[in-house]
Amino acid sequence: MNDILLDVQDLTHCFRLGRRTVLRAVDKVSFQLHRGEIFGLVGESGSGKSTIAKCVMSLLRPTAGKIRYLGVNICDPGQFRAHKKLLQTSRQMIFQDSASSLNPRMTVADIISEPMAIHRIRPPRGTHRDEAAFQLRCVGMDAAYLDKRPGELSGGQRQRVAIARALCMGPDLLAADEPVASLDVSIQAQIINLFKHLQAEHGFTFLFIAHDLAVVRYLCDRAGVMFQGRLVETAPTAELFRNPLHPYTKALLSAIPIPDPRRERARVLEPFDPDRFDREGVLAEAAPGHWVLKKEAP
Amino acid sequence: MDKRFIQVGARSPLPDPAKKPRRSVGKPAAALAVLAVIAAGCLFCEAFIPKDPAYMDLYHASQPPSRAFWFGTDTMGRDIFSMIWHGGRVSLAIGLLSTAVSTGIAVLSGAASGLAPKWLDGLFMRAVEIFLSIPSLLLVVFLQAMLGKAGVLSLSLVIGATSWTSMSKVVRAEVRRLRGSEYVLASRCMGGGFFHILRRHLAPNFFPSIMFMVVMNVRSAIAAESTLSFMGIGLPLETISWGSMLALSEKALLSGAWWIILIPGAFLAVSLLCMTSAGNWLREGGRQDSSHL
Repeated sequence: MNDILLDVQDLTHCFRLGRRTVLRAVDKVSFQLHRGEIFGLVGESGSGKSTIAKCVMSLLRPTAGKIRYLGVNICDPGQFRAHKKLLQTSRQMIFQDSASSLNPRMTVADIISEPMAIHRIRPPRGTHRDEAAFQLRCVGMDAAYLDKRPGELSGGQRQRVAIARALCMGPDLLAADEPVASLDVSIQAQIINLFKHLQAEHGFTFLFIAHDLAVVRYLCDRAGVMFQGRLVETAPTAELFRNPLHPYTKALLSAIPIPDPRRERARVLEPFDPDRFDREGVLAEAAPGHWVLKKEAP
Repeated sequence: MDKRFIQVGARSPLPDPAKKPRRSVGKPAAALAVLAVIAAGCLFCEAFIPKDPAYMDLYHASQPPSRAFWFGTDTMGRDIFSMIWHGGRVSLAIGLLSTAVSTGIAVLSGAASGLAPKWLDGLFMRAVEIFLSIPSLLLVVFLQAMLGKAGVLSLSLVIGATSWTSMSKVVRAEVRRLRGSEYVLASRCMGGGFFHILRRHLAPNFFPSIMFMVVMNVRSAIAAESTLSFMGIGLPLETISWGSMLALSEKALLSGAWWIILIPGAFLAVSLLCMTSAGNWLREGGRQDSSHL
């Protein structure tokens, strides 16, 4: 398959909490990202979504499993070093809290041109500053903001700056770790629309991590549901919302409020009981492209 | 580009309100002025000193201050007024040079230790504590003996190499705090190496908190030089510095020549005091946070 950009196989990551205790944050997760798609990863807090993103971006080293990016096994230090430049320029990440992901002592122009400065890339539009101005306009901000510092910008503006920084290298893979969670709803809508527009324009592959189902439904082509470190279900978004198969997904989807009081009152909540949900088993294809975690046949 | 994605509200930033001068409160103007006068006087001393500071006028040894010798002469007949300015150069140079050495060591070692994995960091910090527990005077004497005859360069190297530990610990603590922040993660993600992250992200953020220590380091280096010279293990007598001038004072005290000890001592004390108050002011200024939203 040539159109698979990222192939995650049995990814496991454990955090050592103490001498004896080990927290299995991500447990045998496998999924694939196709070129140019938007893949949403949803799940409650602590289900391991951010850990997956950090493993994919090589910020954490997985305990077990393989991550292949363009055929390069990025968990292998030797292969990583051999393709360092490619991996560092073509994968970019956007963090949740834009206030802390931008250095408070740098100006917007310096922040956006940082990746170009690191890799000593001659920007296509002359100087670093011109390139930063261009990227800033691409995310809908005026070039007059170039000399501001993050402390002088609003939350939405800071997130736009973070997006501009990620996009100035023309990445193939963009991972966003709950990029809209710290913004209020109207700004969330702007940023989500901006993502949609930018993705259509640049065609990058987008790993979008969220806990907001409505956002995932609106933005993503495919979605995966995480539960306590396991990926329990992945399917095209429309299919997932129409026909959830795993009990956890059903419970999660039934919890979406309906913006109509009469139907909202009649809504039946699936009982939420973490012990009832299977965490064991392997992903099995229930319908074309729709994979569910199932116990292996005895 | 599509109009829908342009951010709602202010398209371009509002003009900045008239900027208030920062850090103007509590500025130790007098201390800075005195420090500037002393530094300028030392730098451009050739223009106004009346005599050759190294010339020994044995007919006029141990003269009290007079019209010919404004600050008097020392036991070897050298003019103290000329020596003060000429020797100030050496003292200030030692202060600045050794601070540069110790700050360099402290920043590099502190940042490396702060970014290192936990076990390496622990090992390094224990080593620093062992180093810290050796009396620095002993270390200085030992290092000086290894380097041979004391000169301005070797003395500042020795003082610098023995005074970086506490600053290194502060740098390490700050780096530990900063390294988890997302902009450092983001920079690592983009491929920023150790020196890039140190220069662009860590140093600008930890520098305000070591600024005070840097200034204090200049101060204590000058003090260390005069202590060593006073004890006779620092600069030789023919190299004029405030410390080596004080080294003569033991004999001067016996003969009642107060000007030999009081005048260099006053210059030393005044410059150290001014540096301390400048350092305090920098520490207060460094606390200002840049975010105001």
